[in-house]
Amino acid sequence: MPEYPSPAPHPKNGALDLGQGSGDKPLLEARGLTKQFPGVTALRGVAFDLRPGEIHALCGENGAGKSTLIKLLAGIHPHGSYTGELRVDDRAVAFRSIRDAEGAGIAVITQEFALIEELSVAENIFLGRAPRCGPGGLRVDWLEMHRLAAVLLADFGLALAPETPVRELGIGQKQLVEIIRAIDKKSRVLVLDEPTAALTGQEVAVLLEHLRRLRTQGTACVYISHKLDEVFALADRITVLRDGASIATLVRHATTIPAVINHMVGRALSDLFPRRTAAPRLEIPLSVRALSVAATQHTPPFLRDISFDLHAGEVLGFGGLMGAGRTELLLHLFGAWGHRVSGAVTLRGQPFASPTPRDAIARGLVLVSEDRKRYGLILAQSIGFNLSLSSLARFTRAGARVDASAEHLGNRHFFTSLRIKAPDQYARVGGLSGGNQQKVVLGKALMTGPTVVLLDEPTRGIDVGAKLEVYELINRLTAEGKAVILVSSELPELMGMSDRILMLAGGRIGGEFARADFAQEKLLAAALGRRAAGAPNDQGPRTHAP
Amino acid sequence: MTSRPAPQLVALPLALLAIAVFFAVKEPAFLGPRNLTQLIVEFSIVGTLALGMFMILLTGQIDLSVGSGVGLVGGIAAVLVFQQGWPAPLAMLAAFGAALVLWLFMGTLIVQQRIPSFIITLGGLLIFKGLFWLVIQNSTIPVSRGDQDNLYSLLTTYYLPSHVGLALAAAVAATLAALAYFSRSARIAHERPVPPAARVIAQWLGTTAAVVGLVVVFNHFRGVPLSLLVLSATAGTVYFLTQHTPFGRYLYAIGGNEEAAVLSGIAVPRVLIGAYVLMGVSVALTGFMTTAYSGSSTTTVGDLMELDAIAACVIGGTALKGGRGTVWGVIFGALIMTALLNGMTLLAVSPEAKFIARGLVLTLAVWLDVRLGR
Repeated sequence: MPEYPSPAPHPKNGALDLGQGSGDKPLLEARGLTKQFPGVTALRGVAFDLRPGEIHALCGENGAGKSTLIKLLAGIHPHGSYTGELRVDDRAVAFRSIRDAEGAGIAVITQEFALIEELSVAENIFLGRAPRCGPGGLRVDWLEMHRLAAVLLADFGLALAPETPVRELGIGQKQLVEIIRAIDKKSRVLVLDEPTAALTGQEVAVLLEHLRRLRTQGTACVYISHKLDEVFALADRITVLRDGASIATLVRHATTIPAVINHMVGRALSDLFPRRTAAPRLEIPLSVRALSVAATQHTPPFLRDISFDLHAGEVLGFGGLMGAGRTELLLHLFGAWGHRVSGAVTLRGQPFASPTPRDAIARGLVLVSEDRKRYGLILAQSIGFNLSLSSLARFTRAGARVDASAEHLGNRHFFTSLRIKAPDQYARVGGLSGGNQQKVVLGKALMTGPTVVLLDEPTRGIDVGAKLEVYELINRLTAEGKAVILVSSELPELMGMSDRILMLAGGRIGGEFARADFAQEKLLAAALGRRAAGAPNDQGPRTHAP
Repeated sequence: MTSRPAPQLVALPLALLAIAVFFAVKEPAFLGPRNLTQLIVEFSIVGTLALGMFMILLTGQIDLSVGSGVGLVGGIAAVLVFQQGWPAPLAMLAAFGAALVLWLFMGTLIVQQRIPSFIITLGGLLIFKGLFWLVIQNSTIPVSRGDQDNLYSLLTTYYLPSHVGLALAAAVAATLAALAYFSRSARIAHERPVPPAARVIAQWLGTTAAVVGLVVVFNHFRGVPLSLLVLSATAGTVYFLTQHTPFGRYLYAIGGNEEAAVLSGIAVPRVLIGAYVLMGVSVALTGFMTTAYSGSSTTTVGDLMELDAIAACVIGGTALKGGRGTVWGVIFGALIMTALLNGMTLLAVSPEAKFIARGLVLTLAVWLDVRLGR
């Protein structure tokens, strides 16, 4: 991932004992794993092996079976619910629960956080195994716990007090705490599902460094990521899954990113960022002037002096480090965050003074949130329920009744045009893969017929194929004359898809770049520069609550 | 919306059947026309309250004040009729208005001040109970003067003449058939999933047989009780609201994920207040019926009814954390709850044992809710 400043060269691979010592005997092995769900075969005869001290990447599109495979390894899908064999240390094992898998030394970190929001960082790290003191070890040794936690946090370069409640952390920081917890449990096999989806470049670099260090200590790692450059910076071998089958296991030295992508999608992808710049238009549907916003009435402004114009048909990229205020800016424009201290927002020629999400949608501005499960979807309901949720007024007849037939047709349009992979629009959203869930959130936003579309990390945690579809969708929107704001932590994506980029730093605009000036070093400097100069208090807790 | 078959669809009728068989074996009069009529009146009372509670629970909130509220609203109307000499309809209208105001106020407090509904309505429980006892001066106030019937007293003592009952059953059957037919042709025309014709016909036949059968049984006693019509109208309204209006969708959405609901542009405060006002409506209707059923307003009217209503919803598969539940489930839940209470009364089970049984059923239902909701 080019975003982290110095992608440390692969450490001398002294630990890479592929083929030597115990290297031939896999630590963990899967043979002919087949897992069926009602109506779907998620895994068909998957073979996979993990050697001691190896980082083995799993790649595949959404729905390829990566998550299911992990759940088998983790004991979430218990023994007996699948066919085939799981072996640890060359012995067949039958995990009936997560606990069994943990007992065998396998720790799984999934995309869903398993942190307790109300407890502190230290308490979460040491949950269930807090250091004890006093007679009989009855009392929790808080001092020791906080000391140990502080060491671990410092190790990961996290500037956090161990006492900080987890609820005050950003999504990336939570991810790191979760990883620290698993690593500290001294697991022999670490399974990481998209660990960097929410991390900034710096945090990613730190994490990769730690994984390499663990490798030298003999910990094996199953690493799942959609970010192939990350996979190539880290993995020893790569196993590609497609449609539930293991397609190929490749040695990283002997393969290339395009080759892996070919295996993943079963076709060649020529252009990763297919931005087609639309003819520039004069209309300015969204104009922001000297905007300053505070989290609440009683706090100092967090966003300061932000001004920009958004043109129709344009993709305006917003970059910056975590905590720079990108998400807050979008949420505020959408009427879901903060208290406006000063400044003006003009939406389609009309002042937009104290918006609510409801007003925003009614006036043609929509937001696709970075956290689709928390802010985007009603997971227990169907695809159709979610798609039409913001647009029900359009299907309502006689002031009260939802015309189910009209709604069905409206939903079907987006269900097909976004190519949502599900039996039909009545399938539950919670059962879909990340990419398909994201399509539902996008569909819900687009069904409202917006003029301005705010996309916050729209490709987070979704696979290459689905990313391309999102990019194509952005092209379609701007070709229709809609204006798009794109927030992304991935600089290649930001540069690939934006017509213009504004970098935020510590709540201010740190620099503006036209397409001709896009260069990673310049963008990064803009994201870091102001930050180093001023704004010492941007480590403050981030509040997302709308 | 969801085409997933709920486990309750099979479990609830079976549970009801088991209860009916148990009590019928112990005491054959349980299924006799007189007791069945009585049971259905009690069911109408609990069911009407449970349907209001259903919409509150769907949003993930709770209302513990409804039991006291039922007593208070019934008490206000009784005092106005018996002591002030107001005509019953006017008195009921006034009490109804009071309920609306109270629940509008409570809903606004919960939403605007962001105080958990559990706390506000727990306060409501005590305050309404106190107001209720003040209103009736800790005495017993009949719902009518002398032996005269009025709209209030007739609520649970009026029965439809047998031919009207039968005509009504026929009308219900015809309406259901027409609805099924039109909904089906609309679905086919728009290529929506269509249930098999055989199942639709079987469902219609089953419902029609049940309705006609019930009417025949009622006619063996005094006829179809008026209170059942109140419940039916409430159930129909709540069904329409929750399944066919944006308001209902929003209830499910808020209960499923309130933050996502806000960001989807739903006016969450307005919807929540709306749910509480509708709860007020259902409290008023229940208050009139249950007070009329006991003949007068006394300090114990409405006691613990909030728990019966919550139990009915939860037994019927409504999730306490919101976002899941059906009207049919609530109806069956209320039937099961009423059948248990009625059966135990018939068997002259001691009040102590009845309390314990009620508690066990409520606990069991919540336990099942947690198990099913993972």
